[in-house]
Amino acid sequence: MRTAELLRPSRWLPTAVAAAVVLGAWQLVATSTTAVLPTLGSIWSAFTGNAGTLFANAGDTLEEALPGLAGSYVVAVLLAVVMSQSRMLTRALLPLAIALNVSPVIAFAPPLTVFLGLGQMPRVVLAAIITFFPSLINAIVGLASADRGAVEVFETLHASRWETLWRLRLPASLPYLFAAARISAPLSIVGATVAEMVLGGVNVGLGRQIQTWSSYAELNLAWAGIAVLAFFGLLITGIVVALESWVLKARGFR
Amino acid sequence: MLRATSGPRDRLLSAPGTPGADCIVLDGVTKRFDAMAWPALDEVSLSIPQGQFFTVIGPSGAGKSTLLRVLAGISRPDSGRVSVFGEPPEQASRAKHLGWVPQSPALLPWRSVIDNVRLPLQVNRGAKCEARDPEELLARLNLSHARDMLPAHLSGGMRQRVAIARAFAFRPRLLLMDEPFGALDEMTREHVAHLLLELWQAEKPTVIFVTHSVGEAVLLSDTVAVIGRGRLSPSVGIDLGRPRPEGIEDSQGFHQLTASLRAQLRRAFSDAGG
Repeated sequence: MRTAELLRPSRWLPTAVAAAVVLGAWQLVATSTTAVLPTLGSIWSAFTGNAGTLFANAGDTLEEALPGLAGSYVVAVLLAVVMSQSRMLTRALLPLAIALNVSPVIAFAPPLTVFLGLGQMPRVVLAAIITFFPSLINAIVGLASADRGAVEVFETLHASRWETLWRLRLPASLPYLFAAARISAPLSIVGATVAEMVLGGVNVGLGRQIQTWSSYAELNLAWAGIAVLAFFGLLITGIVVALESWVLKARGFR
Repeated sequence: MLRATSGPRDRLLSAPGTPGADCIVLDGVTKRFDAMAWPALDEVSLSIPQGQFFTVIGPSGAGKSTLLRVLAGISRPDSGRVSVFGEPPEQASRAKHLGWVPQSPALLPWRSVIDNVRLPLQVNRGAKCEARDPEELLARLNLSHARDMLPAHLSGGMRQRVAIARAFAFRPRLLLMDEPFGALDEMTREHVAHLLLELWQAEKPTVIFVTHSVGEAVLLSDTVAVIGRGRLSPSVGIDLGRPRPEGIEDSQGFHQLTASLRAQLRRAFSDAGG
């Protein structure tokens, strides 16, 4: 997308208006009953007064979320490749993946700490588990998405399975691999944050702090923390989307 | 002008090298799909001499594509025998004898024009094939200027020309073309058809071409067979001589041939009750 296009009021005005309405409503509620929501001004001063703590803890959360995301993404794509080559393996493994997806993943957290300890490791693992399924499904769909006519061209040339995978199925799955990353990336922050809240453990990470602040009725800080997490969610989604549109364009998909 | 294909002159015209050798043979081939009321192919028998441009014409759902897929070894017939150069189709594809031009150009969007044309040379390298110079092919199809462009930036006609170049790149002995010009507008269609003719004239691979356009069938073919509800009517020869220059579509002979082929199509359908 061109920058000039983004600057046109028809692009940004609806978003700006919607944001203004939400913030206005927030402020209205906050000023009438202080028990429910802190005012925007008090959240802002909590943010500016504790920016160091907030960003340091956000960094800890990202330290859990991003390795979890990367690990599960790689495993999901490799597994999808293996499954694309064998119907038997698909039949064996896909139901397990679906079972994992419909389980209350958060409930895995406490038993995980039993052997992963109270450090950041169980949080990494939980972020990995929660992002695994969307990555896997998108990769599976992507590997099956190659144009039918192109598959036929490969078949009539008697291309090997490896050649078809390497020269057709894998490159054709690129848009789906990006879709997988776009969905999983912000989800990994959700996973890490929730793990921090459920598990307790080492006293780092914004999820952990938000919980503590809330229990001391430090609502200004808690909401500032949530806003910082939302900001990082937006940031990594934005990075993925920018990368996606650049790469897909360069690769002739758009 | 339309005549049965058994005449000796026809053989002479269409089979240089090995006159009279039937290289593509279908013998009682039947293929059914559960969802269809009648078989896609119903006891189809056919023999096509080497070097012939053979067109199968018929409406959608008549079995045209199934015929091509059976010949390509993509689909297996329920019964009957298919022989491509004396071998089953799977063997012909293993030996890289088959060129395939699908309905959509089916180019790989991440590959430039030249790399799409090179693709057949990069897979199944074990099979011996005489590669053509991809650059020369592009030149012959007026695509040299688009050499490094991605398919997304090409017009429909250009994409289809790239698909044709790709099919010719490894000198296949049999070219299977499934309504390759179906998505093109009339003018582009004629232009690309003439480019295909020129390319074919130089190499004379056997071509089996599927279309629902009568004009295209007459312009391109040595022989045309009408297919309806899985049944193939007797083939008719197209006596237009070669090469066929641009503008031949406006000649008296061409009009007569299209008219009588249309009549034949109509008859085939009233017989089939369709």
